[in-house]
Amino acid sequence: MLLFRSEEDVDAWCRARDREPGAIFDLDRMWSLARRWYDDRLELEWRRRTPDERQAILEEVGLVGPFWRLP
Amino acid sequence: MDEQTFDRRVRLWIYRHVIDTGRVPGPLEIAEAFVRPLPDVEAALQRLETEADAIVRLPGTSSIWMAEPFSAVPTAFRVRAGQRQWWGNCIWDGLAILALLALDGVLETACPASGEPLAVTVENGALAHAPGVVHFAVPARDWWHSIGFT
Repeated sequence: MLLFRSEEDVDAWCRARDREPGAIFDLDRMWSLARRWYDDRLELEWRRRTPDERQAILEEVGLVGPFWRLP
Repeated sequence: MDEQTFDRRVRLWIYRHVIDTGRVPGPLEIAEAFVRPLPDVEAALQRLETEADAIVRLPGTSSIWMAEPFSAVPTAFRVRAGQRQWWGNCIWDGLAILALLALDGVLETACPASGEPLAVTVENGALAHAPGVVHFAVPARDWWHSIGFT
């Protein structure tokens, strides 16, 4: 996951690699996801979240659809 | 101390160490901190990677490469708060470091296409300066298959 100056820069980067762009969104959403995803990491009894729990977090921050479907 | 308790304490100690020092500890430092033989720590690190999915070791070694969101090695995502600094594995992890520590600070990276430096600032628990757009190159189903490229 990389930060680009603009969507035009994402397009240029993908074209140079002969790739289709993946998903693009703003930092506000990235911040929401980062806060939520890691909010249990400093607990002694931390465990890796289940796929369903991870999917629920993605949905909480509005990341829905086939691109965001975890295995 | 049973194995699970030991592993949990080692995991949390790793985080506390990197938060305080900006550096991911090596197995020997962990062994010294817990006053345990090195093989005990190496076994715990192996379990933390392969069973708990809590860390990533450098391939072929017992050294920690990632304790997400922290990277043990310098990356394109430097996080600074006060006099301390850390390395995130990606834009997600870089922001997560500031979120996890509840600190005001700055995440420094550069646009991979233009090379332009980009600095994201967090103040009072919120984004204060948020330039640019985030790009996820691969879909969620492949995140853990290509962790270095995602």
